Amino acid sequence: MSETADGRHHVASFLMRESLVDKEVLRSTETAVVRMLPSAHVIKVGGRSILDAGRSVVYPLVDVLAQLLGEHKLILGTGGGARTRHVFSVGLDLGMPTGVLAQLAAADALGNAHILGALLAPYGVVAIPPEMFGHLLPLFVHAVPGVIFNGVPPYSIWEHPPAIGRIPPHRTDAGCFLLAECFGCSTLTLIKDVDGLYDRDPKGEAGAVFIDEISAAELERRNLATLPFDRVLLRLLGTARLLRRFQIVNGHKPDLLAAALRGEHVGTIVYA
Amino acid sequence: MKSDLLTDLGDAMLSGSLTDELLMARTEKTPPVRLLPDANVVKIGGQSFIDRGRAAVFPLIDEIVANLPHHKMIIGTGAGTRARHAYSVGLDLGMPTGVLSVLGTFVSMQNARMIHYLLAKHGIPFIEPAQFAQLPLYLSERRAAVFFGMPPYTFWQENPVVGRIPPHRTDTGAFLVSEVFAARSMIFVKDEDGLYTADPKKDRNARFIPRATAAEIEAMDLDDVVVERAVLEMLKNAEHRRSIQVINGLKPGQLTRALNGEHVGTIITADAGA
Repeated sequence: MSETADGRHHVASFLMRESLVDKEVLRSTETAVVRMLPSAHVIKVGGRSILDAGRSVVYPLVDVLAQLLGEHKLILGTGGGARTRHVFSVGLDLGMPTGVLAQLAAADALGNAHILGALLAPYGVVAIPPEMFGHLLPLFVHAVPGVIFNGVPPYSIWEHPPAIGRIPPHRTDAGCFLLAECFGCSTLTLIKDVDGLYDRDPKGEAGAVFIDEISAAELERRNLATLPFDRVLLRLLGTARLLRRFQIVNGHKPDLLAAALRGEHVGTIVYA
Repeated sequence: MKSDLLTDLGDAMLSGSLTDELLMARTEKTPPVRLLPDANVVKIGGQSFIDRGRAAVFPLIDEIVANLPHHKMIIGTGAGTRARHAYSVGLDLGMPTGVLSVLGTFVSMQNARMIHYLLAKHGIPFIEPAQFAQLPLYLSERRAAVFFGMPPYTFWQENPVVGRIPPHRTDTGAFLVSEVFAARSMIFVKDEDGLYTADPKKDRNARFIPRATAAEIEAMDLDDVVVERAVLEMLKNAEHRRSIQVINGLKPGQLTRALNGEHVGTIITADAGA
């Protein structure tokens, strides 16, 4: 322990006495980082796009997931879908702030995680309670073929106020991205109901042009009116150290998922 | 089956995209509700304050207690030198930012527990994130509660642009508590009078800045600032908390004056002329 001229007391470390806001200090902390779960794959299963679509879409996807569980370790995140949109609309009408909307949204995605967990229960894959999910993840991944969590990051009332409007910016795509980045997972795949990214919404507009591969910076520059994933992912890719790309795959063509996990290009790849 | 939602906005969100900025702009049209408008958020620094021990902490505790009849306080704690040690060891061992965030949480929790025990005889509780639903009751009954400042992002902490230290630490966590509850004020208790043009501990030519906007501070491109940069960033997007105050808790009476709405220390605002 050392006392310094300013009267403060410190435990000796290379950051002692330093401001963690100082630019020089921060540059010195850029070191190599370990991968905690390098062979696991993170897959986000869309709420509105997949689970809300019902058995005709979900059952074939579950069959494919069941097969893949034989060869890969899967971390499955779920979206909240229509119920999250509904609770947002009621919450907004009642004047709730962004952080409260984020807290509320966690419940819908957790419901969907339990639905997917019931369907994958025969394969030993269940929804894990959010309170223990992060800390026990490596244990689960080594013990069972896969796990399911609500893709919601635990931001809750600590959600960041967005630049525009009140909707929480870190939703379930972001939760899956941040998890895959922190644990150094092999891939991140977002399963949606479109083949990938288009220059405009392919559901509403004829003549939408498919984009098979694009950088986050280019996508920021093009500032498309809508994206098939949380907008914050573009910024997160920019600062990612381990997860340098993700792929959007059409869940209505579930056989593509196997190829995506092998690293094949079957949808849209967005890279850092 | 066709949905029929409470509002047109609800219908639009059900069918539309939450990445559509025109749709998002509509989500801020309803007047917001202020959840805890008479509570003050007070954040006590870790390295700057708690690590100084009783010489610094006891007088501040007395000042907090003296203000309880007049002001409700949600008291957050910083992490400090043990977090710097944990980050140093963790960085050397290759820990990702999310793991460092977990380590920082533990240290700010230790500090929250100590501040809590010093206030325990006044019936003031320590609450973890899962217990925030009880916060309004504690504020009504005991007029204060203690929480750890670190936002509970753990493994989901965003990476910083430079380096590996979690960018959203205890200043940010406390700020977001004041924002979500639309609190009356956000007061950061540190060991300096406020913001300077450089770290006054290292640069004797550092000049004091009593008031500035977040944009002005960014334009100054300072090597070091007195609060986490993320707070300045979020201040601009905040719906309720459009200013913060940084005060010197080593000077008796500063906290009281700040709670009374006086301009002591540095006031940083989102808007010019605020």
